[in-house]
Amino acid sequence: MATEVLWWIFAVATVLLSAGVVFSRSVLHSAIFLIGSLGGVGAMYVFLTVDFLALVQFLVYGGAVTVLILLALMLTRTDAKESLNGTQAPWAALAGAMLLAILVSASVAVKWPGDIDDAPTTIPLETISEKLFVDFGPPFVIASVLLLVALVGAIILARQEEGE
Amino acid sequence: MVPLENYLVLSAVMFSLGVYGVLARRNAVLVLMSVELMLNAVSLNFVAFAAYLDPERITGAIFAVFVITVAAAEVGLALAIVIRLFRNRATSNVDEAAMMKW
Repeated sequence: MATEVLWWIFAVATVLLSAGVVFSRSVLHSAIFLIGSLGGVGAMYVFLTVDFLALVQFLVYGGAVTVLILLALMLTRTDAKESLNGTQAPWAALAGAMLLAILVSASVAVKWPGDIDDAPTTIPLETISEKLFVDFGPPFVIASVLLLVALVGAIILARQEEGE
Repeated sequence: MVPLENYLVLSAVMFSLGVYGVLARRNAVLVLMSVELMLNAVSLNFVAFAAYLDPERITGAIFAVFVITVAAAEVGLALAIVIRLFRNRATSNVDEAAMMKW
């Protein structure tokens, strides 16, 4: 029961913070809302008994990604008088609302089997590492190469060139 | 315990907010933040499905790890492009970055 109450608190907070990201009138506020929203998703991972993923979420998103975004916000300048939304915003709201209606009705209509009550224990780290490094070994290597190439590319793109 | 539907509805709400943000915002960094929201909604869905429906309860979490990896690469590259755009055109407005538009 207590878990359920906690879940609802975190779920409502996550939704409100996510709404803050897309509806906020200040870029910096959006970024701060994003930190909270990603933290809320991390809390959801704890509820789903994948503590390792929650840790990764807090480290990578709460730390690295939001710092990168804040840095980019500081390096670029936004005109405070200009509206952050384009003229297409009503259509975007329509598209979002329609997608939301479809997704919610689909996920409520289906009778999902299974319950987490059967095995509520935390997944041990050994199981995750075995799955990640043995069963998903090749994709893991490819993903690390992708990350390396992307970050080297980012450095080359953002570098100040001679005569600039 | 909380039923699976709750997680699905939560991630549906997050994803739809992300879609709205991507389509409505004009600042490139804000568009990127909305993309992050969508990616997180998707990984939450992966993990929720795995926890409830997968007997091992783990494959979805591995997928989420890969989603986080790709998202990190994407953020790094996209912000480099945004900074480059700002240096060349003095704007981070996606409407004004129309050099390649036909």
